[in-house]
Amino acid sequence: MFELRRIDDTLWEIPAEARPDMRVPARVFADPELLEAIRRDSSLEQLQNVATLPGVVDAVYAMPDIHQGYGFPVGGLAATELPDGVVSPGGVGYDINCGVRLLAAPFSAEELGDRKEALVHEISRAVPAGAGKEARRHRPEQLDRILAEGARVVGSDDDVARTESTGCLPGVDLAAVSERAKERGAGQLGTMGSGNHFVEVQRVDRVFDDQAATAYGLRIGQVTILVHSGSRGLGHQVCTDYVRRMDAALGRYGISLPDRQLSCAPASSPEGQDYLAAMAAAANFAWANRQEIANQIRKAIERVLGRQAAESTRQVYDVAHNVAKREAYGGRELLVHRKGATRAFPAGSEEIPEDYREVGQPVFIPGSMGTSSFVLAGEPGSIERSFGTTCHGAGRNLSRTAARKQISGADLRRQLEQAGITVRSPSNKGLAEEAPFAYKDVERVVEIVERAGLARRVSQLRPLGVIKG
Amino acid sequence: MAYRWLDHTAELELHVEAETPELVFQQALAALAELFDGSTGEADVHEVALEAPDLASLLAVWLEELVFLADTRGFVPGRAELVLRNTSLRATVHGRRGEPRPLVKGVTYHGLRLDHSDGGWQARVVLDV
Repeated sequence: MFELRRIDDTLWEIPAEARPDMRVPARVFADPELLEAIRRDSSLEQLQNVATLPGVVDAVYAMPDIHQGYGFPVGGLAATELPDGVVSPGGVGYDINCGVRLLAAPFSAEELGDRKEALVHEISRAVPAGAGKEARRHRPEQLDRILAEGARVVGSDDDVARTESTGCLPGVDLAAVSERAKERGAGQLGTMGSGNHFVEVQRVDRVFDDQAATAYGLRIGQVTILVHSGSRGLGHQVCTDYVRRMDAALGRYGISLPDRQLSCAPASSPEGQDYLAAMAAAANFAWANRQEIANQIRKAIERVLGRQAAESTRQVYDVAHNVAKREAYGGRELLVHRKGATRAFPAGSEEIPEDYREVGQPVFIPGSMGTSSFVLAGEPGSIERSFGTTCHGAGRNLSRTAARKQISGADLRRQLEQAGITVRSPSNKGLAEEAPFAYKDVERVVEIVERAGLARRVSQLRPLGVIKG
Repeated sequence: MAYRWLDHTAELELHVEAETPELVFQQALAALAELFDGSTGEADVHEVALEAPDLASLLAVWLEELVFLADTRGFVPGRAELVLRNTSLRATVHGRRGEPRPLVKGVTYHGLRLDHSDGGWQARVVLDV
């Protein structure tokens, strides 16, 4: 068993000496109780595996919502130094640029009143889970433009300006994206996907930071809509293609790994360059996907509450939580892999919209289904301590099977409805797998990142209606 | 011959035991079809030819192919006639069209194995969902 030593109130460390193949220490933001939960699965061993990647610098980090994944743990963070440090597709994950977008409606929950059911219903019709009969297939040239340019192909200037990286990563090479990936993406723009993806209608229940909430355009009682989705089959195929290609090239670069899923290549190598060019395309597809979902939500709002309400529904922000980005820290150019972790730049950063520059970047932390979500603002501690990063969600605690054993989908649906939450989901099984008790307590996760100085709480959002894939 | 899903915090871990590698591939198809959920659409058939550097990778490539067909054709597999030769596979997959649940994002290489021991074949695959 490895040695885990406490560094301060919220940070623990496994030193690099714990294993001969570790290049840097593995650090975990947590509290004693969450740490207990974290130690029950293999997340820390997976984090130590990440610490073996060639070119990794300083330390690898786990956020308090960490849980066991495959290769990288979910809630993990690793920075490699460019140009020759590695890029690992598994360190981004299959759902490239999975992320969260928040819309703020111009009306309050009280004003929405008994039209809530109709709104949730309309959104569920407008945002399909998968590429079914209603999906809009895109022509190849339209798809290519989306891959190259991202959100702005389908979004307004206002929305695009309030999107991380303005909804577009540069450096796309369309030739690096396989035909299979494009084929999967062609029919999936504006679809949610399944698993933990959702659209949620919420009410702003608490405000912790008036200045930031005002800057973000959030006030008590207001209706907000949170979208959680990613790059769908297109991103999944890009990851699949490059995990396989790098797995075959490991020998050429003299890389040996404790887990095949960590397959990687120097960022400067042909494999690394091609992956980064394809990953950027998939990230852009994901931003366009969430943009198209937001467009459809506005149409649903228009059908239920009129054009004025739809046009005044404003995008607060959109954050990615599965992506690798080039960022500079201490004069070094790094490739920051965030896998189930969110960028959280503090006030003053030029990377964030001007309106938000005095308060810090908005970060959205979805709770589990039926529990509150949080809006946070990036804090200076994130730059000092965690490569500008904070957590991304509650983090699973129980497996899907274990969740299904404890409650039936039908019972959970009844419980949520009794709590005043309207539910639309085609699958009772899928619903049970996402039961709130299968997740860690999001309030606790958020409290730790606040104590650690990575991000602070701005407001709390309570669910009124959930649409699941 | 059987497949079962093992507990894994976030993902799905598939274990298969069978008398031959061909049956492992058949069972893996059945397991994936269960995840996609039944389909009542029109009958459909697909021919696939796959290869990989080793047998375990071939199993991953096989599942990836079925996920791809579900994603792009709405195809839910029912059964397959398959021929395995070293680390390449040819199969005729029969199934139906429908709206398979888009749950599986990727077939991972994490702890991937397919090997022979104790008089049978065992496989383990973790799916990202």
